[in-house]
Amino acid sequence: MWIWADVSPEGVASSALELLTKARAIGNDVGAVALGSGASGAVDQLGEHGAARVYTSDDQRLAEPTSRVAAHTLAALVAEHSPGVVLFPSSYRGRDVAGRLQAITASTLMANAVDLPSIDRARAEILGGTTIVEVDLAGPAPHLVLMRPRSFEPEAVGGTADVVPVDVVEPPGGAAVVQVLERTEAASDGPTLEGAKVVLAGGRGLGGPDGFRLLQELGDAIGDTAIGASRAAVDAGWVPYAMQIGQTGSTVKPEVYLAAGISGALQHAVGMKGSRRIVAITKDPEAPILQLADLGVVGDLFQVLPALTEEVRRRTGR
Amino acid sequence: MNIAVLVKWVPEPQGTPTLGPDHLLVREGADGALDPGDEYGLERALQLVERDGGEVTVVSMGPEVAVAAVQRGLAMGADRGVLVTDDTVRGADALVTARVLAAAIRPIGVDLVVAAVESTDGYTGTLPVTVAELLALPSVTFATSLDIVDGSHVRAERQTAAGAEVVSSPLPALVTVTTGVAEPRYPSLKGVMAAKTKPLDRPSLAGLGLAADDVRPSQTVASVEAAPLKAGGRVIEAGPETAAEIADLLAEARVI
Amino acid sequence: MAVALAWRRASPRIATLRAARPDDPERGGPITERAARELVEVVGQRKLFQRLVPGMMHAAIFWGFVVLLPTIAEAAIAVVDRGAHLPLIGDTTWFAWLVDLVAVAVLAGVIIAISIRKVQRPDRFRGSHLEEADRILLMITAIVVSLLLWQATRIALELTDAEGPVSGWIAGFLDGASIGTLEAAERVLVWAHLLLVLAFLVYLPGSKHLHIVTAAPNVWLRKSGPGGRLEPLRIDLEAPEEDLRLGAAVATDLTRKQTLDLFSCTECGRCQDVCPAWATGKPLSPKLLVMDLRDHVAGTARPAGEVELQPLVPNAVTDEVVWDCVTCGACVRECPVDIEHVDTIVDLRRNLVMAESRFPSEAGALLRGVEGPGENPWGQPASARMDWADGLDVRVLAPGDAAPDVLFWVGCAGAFDERAREATRSTVRLLQAAGIDVAVLGQRESCTGDPARRMGHEFLFQTLAERNVSTLNDAGVTTIVASCAHCFNTLANEYPDYGGTYEVVHHSEFLARLVREGGLHPSRDSVAVTYHDACYLGRHNGNYDSPRDVLRATTGQIEEMPRSRERSFCCGAGGARFWMEEGGDARINDTRYAEAASTGADVVATACPFCLVMLDDASGAAAEGPEVADVATLLARSTLPDG
Repeated sequence: MWIWADVSPEGVASSALELLTKARAIGNDVGAVALGSGASGAVDQLGEHGAARVYTSDDQRLAEPTSRVAAHTLAALVAEHSPGVVLFPSSYRGRDVAGRLQAITASTLMANAVDLPSIDRARAEILGGTTIVEVDLAGPAPHLVLMRPRSFEPEAVGGTADVVPVDVVEPPGGAAVVQVLERTEAASDGPTLEGAKVVLAGGRGLGGPDGFRLLQELGDAIGDTAIGASRAAVDAGWVPYAMQIGQTGSTVKPEVYLAAGISGALQHAVGMKGSRRIVAITKDPEAPILQLADLGVVGDLFQVLPALTEEVRRRTGR
Repeated sequence: MNIAVLVKWVPEPQGTPTLGPDHLLVREGADGALDPGDEYGLERALQLVERDGGEVTVVSMGPEVAVAAVQRGLAMGADRGVLVTDDTVRGADALVTARVLAAAIRPIGVDLVVAAVESTDGYTGTLPVTVAELLALPSVTFATSLDIVDGSHVRAERQTAAGAEVVSSPLPALVTVTTGVAEPRYPSLKGVMAAKTKPLDRPSLAGLGLAADDVRPSQTVASVEAAPLKAGGRVIEAGPETAAEIADLLAEARVI
Repeated sequence: MAVALAWRRASPRIATLRAARPDDPERGGPITERAARELVEVVGQRKLFQRLVPGMMHAAIFWGFVVLLPTIAEAAIAVVDRGAHLPLIGDTTWFAWLVDLVAVAVLAGVIIAISIRKVQRPDRFRGSHLEEADRILLMITAIVVSLLLWQATRIALELTDAEGPVSGWIAGFLDGASIGTLEAAERVLVWAHLLLVLAFLVYLPGSKHLHIVTAAPNVWLRKSGPGGRLEPLRIDLEAPEEDLRLGAAVATDLTRKQTLDLFSCTECGRCQDVCPAWATGKPLSPKLLVMDLRDHVAGTARPAGEVELQPLVPNAVTDEVVWDCVTCGACVRECPVDIEHVDTIVDLRRNLVMAESRFPSEAGALLRGVEGPGENPWGQPASARMDWADGLDVRVLAPGDAAPDVLFWVGCAGAFDERAREATRSTVRLLQAAGIDVAVLGQRESCTGDPARRMGHEFLFQTLAERNVSTLNDAGVTTIVASCAHCFNTLANEYPDYGGTYEVVHHSEFLARLVREGGLHPSRDSVAVTYHDACYLGRHNGNYDSPRDVLRATTGQIEEMPRSRERSFCCGAGGARFWMEEGGDARINDTRYAEAASTGADVVATACPFCLVMLDDASGAAAEGPEVADVATLLARSTLPDG
């Protein structure tokens, strides 16, 4: 039972810790694979969350953006140690590594899984979360399973992991084929979508990029808030893709999720329905999002949002 | 410049898809269309070929009705189409699909393969890189912009977990694109008519050199059930008290 | 020689007309209808009298010249033999009186015209060739004055006994002159008069005054029947490519009528005055569109093959101009010489959409939605088409079912737009309350194709029309009630071209009938209501009264807007503009909503879901103002127990 850990110089991604929770529940002997800069720094945390061994390398070649080197290195590890399952996060890197690994190992690959009842069976939500399927996995080991974010809670159980250094395996044609010319960090003047306690999301009902200013103002009044968007608003070009919440885009589970002008198409619902409390403001009394909401408001968001901002300012004194 | 664009026919891209008794998405008989998410990459490929010269081939695997998706691609301006239809690959998983698509692309001799980040109905999101690995191509995923430089490199901006990066890859390569990469054109009627006379290749699995073992699915659906619905929510008409009610909820959640 | 010169000046325009595509010979309607049109519009000057003072001015000059025509012949004879007269009317006192009176009327007309142009200076002349108009008015004056002076010299020389009041009065001043001087003056004046007339003839063909020749044929060729019907292109994808016409790309793609339109324009600007696009600061003016096309088309009139024809868009008119049109038809209704601006604009759009795929990108969603699986401009799934009927017991017609007495055509707006759904529900509930056997097509209904057609996608329209007609015919439908003015227009006026002929009744008309015949019993209150005429119900189909009849049954107080009935101002949704972004200084719907609010009414009533949504949007944007509601909603409120 292995998990793939997304690591960076900033540390290990919480997705790895979530996967460890699941992996421990299935088998005692859990291996974690951490490849790339920041890998060795992640060992302690991975061990604390239940990894018995961490296969690790900080080699710079693993940082190349295609994940080819990582996939071939992992393939060699898999061939050597024959794990039954490798769990991946549904992250940029997780998908790239798993997809490439599948081509090499000819294993089965299950995407969008939310649970793994046994090593041969994965559970997934399909059709926008309306339907749950369980799928029997067959074919050559290991089964590759991509878990949706936040499917499990990270749990620190105490423990230390053995470190297994890994030799980098270069794919045919060498490592550094794709060059990174520039890198821009995402603007970090606020919490990320995944990390915020409150997520305010806007959809087509906001009418245009200007509508998102209403959310921003409300967010400033609340604090610890991130702004998200439905696919409709992203497709319309109002806000960048990075703000998209849904099947494509981020999955969020904040304390409060407020959807303004979002109908709540399946595609969107998948990314937010795990939120603790859901507030939806929409003009459409038939909007599916009202089915998900703890508090659904049918009305004009251009009146409700400014009034709410005013009310929050009054209460918080911001 | 030869560009292959992976496209997919999806049932009811705007509606609610349904599962058949065999636990597979109902594709036959459903109203379907070219996956709208595929049009962005196709548009960009067409733009690049219009600028630099070359050909665009749309490549797809799917049921007979998927001809419509390929025709749509041709109507938008692609030069040729390849569609693999075979009953044995109905319900194919990602690996089988990737093998079929890779086999269909190989003979074209492409410089660039473009695909959407993921399909609108399946959302696996790993298929393109699997194809890239099978074809031993470098890949750039989640590209928000795509350009070809000097006819030898692709330059793309891509999203990453940390933010964004600009990368350069030698050709041939595979790139997956998001919706931001181009604004898809609406095919003119002239384009629709021209599409009917464009070459559409319908290779068989054997013709692509695939054996039965290569296309045996590794997944079977064991059970299907409806997800539980959320209960206990209430819906109100907006009124003078609405702001206070929402603020109460925020306070209850201790976020203000 | 003058005739030869005039012909030479006219020949490029004649050549252009000959090179133009022939029209459908049936388009003008039966000969009796055309003749009646000539009588009313040309002889009767009906459309000019829509504006009283300019109408009187024009009628004076027009009728004047009709009467004065024989005097040209008289002058022509007199040039050869100064004592000769025309038979019957020549040398008669009554005709001399008539000529004098008419001449004065013409001069009065000229004075009115000059005072309009120089003193009043209405905005409708912006962009017109004003100097050319001055030149023509000067020529008219000179022709009429020279005629009067010539007559006076003839009276003084006793070449005629017939003495009119004005010419006779002038002759009085000539008493002291010598015979020799008078004879010389008579010769000079008759020649001057005749030469002025001939100069006018030569000037005419290249000028906007050519309308005195082209107006009558233009009226003759005008499309018969409801203005809302567009002529089909009948696109056959299997036909050889050279036979395929996808709208107007270059000058020679225009039809003869479309070309004659261009040569008939007098630049009077009445169209510009009523155009919603121009009124809200957009580049489109129907007048400037016609002038720009005319100048372009006239410039390309060379022997075939000599020059490569340039595309009309953007060389003659810009893309923006073509897309600004709401197809409301106000310009067409206003035009005294029956120019059909909307048909030409749609023809330009057809080429842009079907051949070039060039249109405001946001409108792509409309086309994708209509041709997509849900077959509606909103891109909603077909499965959502009956969502409006939740909680109602509505009969959905399954294939093979017996045809209902009334098929209610819901329309995509009525089915998918939340605000329009309310009107849909009201209509159905009212029909049911009146005991009407009504059913709907449910998921078998698709977009009528109106927005696709008006956007220029004739092929998509044709596909939808053929499909809907086949569904309706198979279902054995005879009577259709439609609450959308656009659906109504398309079903009633355009589907017959595709083999679908039904009794199509707008819901306002059907409801008015039910109230009149006692099927519904509304209670009247005194809420002040103003009614906004939908272009495709009113101007395009002539029904102004049914919605007002419905309202009169519900309220004692109807306030009319300054622009109402045939002069109604569009809500901004027509011509697929509903799905496009709007530029310019102001939004059309805001402008119209402000006009509605200015009546002081509590409610703005509409009879089309698009008007409803557009004006409701405007009411949302306005700080305060009247509620917007469909006539059916208002009738339901005062008729049904639970509103």
